[in-house]
Amino acid sequence: QEISMEAQAEGIRTVFSDPTNFNVKHPLYSPWTLWFDSPMTKNRNLPQTPISAMPQTPGPMPPTPGVAAAQGWMEDIKRVISFDSVEEFWGLYNNIVPPSALPQKANYYLFKEGIIPAWEDEANKNGGKWSIQLPKDKNRSNVDKMWLYTMLAAIGETFDPSLTTLDPTGSPPNSLITGVIVSTRPQFYRISIWTRLAPAGEDDGSLKERIEGVGRHFKTSVLGYPDNAKLAGPLATEVEFLSHKDSEKKGKGKKIIV
Amino acid sequence: STVSGKPNIPAPLPSALATARIIDDLGRVPYPEGVRSPKVELNVNAKDGKFRYDRDFLMQFMSICKEKPDNLPPLDAIGLESQTMPYPMVRGGSQRGNRSGAAVAR
Repeated sequence: QEISMEAQAEGIRTVFSDPTNFNVKHPLYSPWTLWFDSPMTKNRNLPQTPISAMPQTPGPMPPTPGVAAAQGWMEDIKRVISFDSVEEFWGLYNNIVPPSALPQKANYYLFKEGIIPAWEDEANKNGGKWSIQLPKDKNRSNVDKMWLYTMLAAIGETFDPSLTTLDPTGSPPNSLITGVIVSTRPQFYRISIWTRLAPAGEDDGSLKERIEGVGRHFKTSVLGYPDNAKLAGPLATEVEFLSHKDSEKKGKGKKIIV
Repeated sequence: STVSGKPNIPAPLPSALATARIIDDLGRVPYPEGVRSPKVELNVNAKDGKFRYDRDFLMQFMSICKEKPDNLPPLDAIGLESQTMPYPMVRGGSQRGNRSGAAVAR
């Protein structure tokens, strides 16, 4: 291996130069927690639910009323693991079940640490989600790669292009992304990107643009579709955005489509 | 330490992952020939270890970081099991939540 003299002097060894005795790791923009549920996790009295796991997370945050309200929704969801480096992410990825091998009605929720995968969480309550639904038969062989690329864009923090163009003198800007989800259902898969904010109306132009940027990146770079592709069909949807408030109204809300 | 009075069980050696330090300056990290560095333009204003990484960079770790994390719980203990057999009972049309239907799969 060719390693510069300077690096040798500093003794920096990445996993690429020494896979067993590396001494530095690549930190992620945010720490992440993976959650899981399926029919198999229901009614199992296990200690790994968000409600019991939350007090272990660092920070002075007492349980918020929102978290308490989400308790019914969250009690069957199990915490798998938290991680904060690229190296740890791949150790997890290489030792866990891919979406194509999950049972029906299962979900992975990969969310920033401290944010629970529920509308009621402070970080989600004003937000929304980009999502796509894909027929299972045609996408069994694609879904694992789509989910991997979705996770990589989330942990690599490349969904929100405005992160680099914001004020360089300020503190690191708050990313729009709170988490990503993959769901397996009897006839389709769904992948979703949850955002911290949702445009409130036509007067919310700059946020709408920023949200649409996330959706376009999801459609083209992550899922690999052409920009102008029409995706809706039997059991399939376009890449579409809906605020959580509108989702609660059961389809009465206004969708954004890219 | 034996202060606690517990039997002195030697701790397992910490993995490299547990002792590796966090990179604070991506520009100083040497990558071997043939390994791509993270895209510079993603981190022009980066500070406090808040780095962004492109997919091509991240994918290079896939075949190297294979060790099971120490803190990964046994997957069957949280009901996370691979569905290797075809689902034995596909119920036509029913999309309602149905716990007993799922239990049949065991």
